[in-house]
Amino acid sequence: MPSASDRTRGPGLTTLLRLAGLLVLAAAVLSFPSVAANPFILSVGVVIMSYAVLATGWNFVGGFTGYMSLGHAAYSGLGGYATALLIIESGLNPWLALCLGALLTALIAVPVGIASLRVRGASFVIVSIAFVLILQLVFQSWGEFTGGSNGLRVPRPFGPDVLRPEQHERFFYLHAAVLAIALLAWWLIDRSRFGIGLKAIREDEDKAQALGIPTFTYKLVAFVVSAFFTAIGGGLYALWFGYLDPIFQFSILIGSYMVLMSLLGGIRSLYGPLLGALVVGYSVEFFKNEYGDTQFHLVATGLLLGLVVLFMPDGVIPALAALLRRFRPQASSIREVTQAELAEQRESQESGPITQGAKR
Amino acid sequence: MTSTHEQPAEQRESARIGLAATGLSKAFGGVRAVDDATVSFHHGKVNALIGPNGSGKTTFFNCVTGMIKPDSGTVTYDGADITGKAAHRIARAGIGRSFQLCRIFPRMTVLENVLAAVRPPSRTRLLASAHHRDDVARARELLSRVGIEHLERADARDLSYGQQKLLELAGVLMADPDTIMLDEPAGGVNPALIERIAGLVRSLNAEGKTFIVVEHNMELVMSLSDHVVVFDRGRRISEGPPSVVQNDPRVLEAYLGV
Ligand SMILES: Nc1ncnc2c1ncn2[C@@H]1O[C@H](COP(=O)(O)OP(=O)(O)O)[C@@H](O)[C@H]1O
Ligand SMILES: [Mg+2]
Repeated sequence: MPSASDRTRGPGLTTLLRLAGLLVLAAAVLSFPSVAANPFILSVGVVIMSYAVLATGWNFVGGFTGYMSLGHAAYSGLGGYATALLIIESGLNPWLALCLGALLTALIAVPVGIASLRVRGASFVIVSIAFVLILQLVFQSWGEFTGGSNGLRVPRPFGPDVLRPEQHERFFYLHAAVLAIALLAWWLIDRSRFGIGLKAIREDEDKAQALGIPTFTYKLVAFVVSAFFTAIGGGLYALWFGYLDPIFQFSILIGSYMVLMSLLGGIRSLYGPLLGALVVGYSVEFFKNEYGDTQFHLVATGLLLGLVVLFMPDGVIPALAALLRRFRPQASSIREVTQAELAEQRESQESGPITQGAKR
Repeated sequence: MTSTHEQPAEQRESARIGLAATGLSKAFGGVRAVDDATVSFHHGKVNALIGPNGSGKTTFFNCVTGMIKPDSGTVTYDGADITGKAAHRIARAGIGRSFQLCRIFPRMTVLENVLAAVRPPSRTRLLASAHHRDDVARARELLSRVGIEHLERADARDLSYGQQKLLELAGVLMADPDTIMLDEPAGGVNPALIERIAGLVRSLNAEGKTFIVVEHNMELVMSLSDHVVVFDRGRRISEGPPSVVQNDPRVLEAYLGV
């Protein structure tokens, strides 16, 4: 029965529109380096793509399970340092180092996840922040290995004959490729049985477990996958930028950016984090360029984060979609009773019938 | 997964004990919500668990389904010790439950709510589409069984309370439990819907599902159940067929609060 399965996947038009959107997006991304006016614009493009990878990586745990990690810079930072140190200390091929570094980071995420996913809500947020701050201290003080506060120079993967604009272009495409893989993985999970289980956890964790979903294992897997993609993002950025400093790599600010970008774009949608990265990344670079590296962007980030959480907790895309829906004519509401009426009903039911019944 | 519903009725009559608790206790601070409760439920029956407000029925449910850990005592299911096991393991052992204040996944569609309860046949099938044809067919069947198939694409939060209760039941059924524990299924729903829920319990029981139902609506309890267990202050004070329990002086005393 083809008609039956069509109904769940939505009408063909939506699928077509989605496909068209995907093509336009891919074309826009792929043509960006050739239309970018100068190397600076191109480098901003790389930064935005890097943010998009990080935010999409974050969204594997934030979006699916609703666990809001503010300390996800831990994994981008570890990915960056692991990549750099594997090249420097073991003389590994940079791309191999990138992949191995991300795998190592994912491995580290296992015990961290086991410890931190036991607590929910604000407690989880605090644990995630604590972890990134600990890493910052460790990497600062362990100078002989990590370069400490002096920073660490990351060997360039492309030779000196590759000029700067060319470097930017190559890294732009590399980031785009990683982003595509991350989006594909997110999409695969989103439509899967595993994904529906994760979303159930986001909605009501205890209820999900009562239905038989092994919630802890599910959360942990999502967490580790998230750490892996975030680490790939961090490692790739390190290879491009060529320099690591614990203060910046393990900062709460980077983690906040990931949260802000995802929330802004919408954590329930595939392209949400990407859209958020575009907006936040562009604004951050714009302000840095106009006003220098002041504390202003800190304040702006905080303000924006607060505003989005308060007024658009589902993100901008869903908020806009909801707005559109409101203007569309609707069938009569399926809601029969309001919550208030319900509460009343329940009140009156609590005491009444029970005593009558027993007396009879 | 064992399924009792293929067994003929005669076989079910010589019923085995399914869920059983021995000396179960749980205190919240000074409140002994469940206090040394010993009770067992037979397979194939509609069991009712009644008692005044605050007598520990919901806490009992939470203890046996792994939502909270009991302070002491043991819980067994089909003879196997399940005390203090994780809730999803107990669910997978064949016990499904609903919640007193109906719990659904508000921002998922009605269909997704039911699909979320699918038990994947193996770990490798976890990345298969959630909208797997067989799963969707079964989910639709259950939705139409509880009578809300026309709402499958609606967000669960847009349903009325009664519809949400039906949805919760469909989700519980999707996991195909042998024993279904309902915490006040008729609470807060209109009489027509109570009738529908009662009908569902009866027909599911005829197919072999065991029920343990906490309910305040005495008329419903008396008409629905084969066996009634009465709780007061966290312990079992009486049990038996509905007609016997109804006239037990201890029960009347508990309800009248002497
Ligand atoms: N989470 C909790 N924290 C503190 N006290 C609780 C909690 N849950 C239940 N109680 C108390 O335990 C007693 C039994 O409650 P409950 O199991 O909900 O009873 P019933 O379902 O029979 O109405 C009540 O006195 C209630 O206030
Ligand atoms: Mg209760």
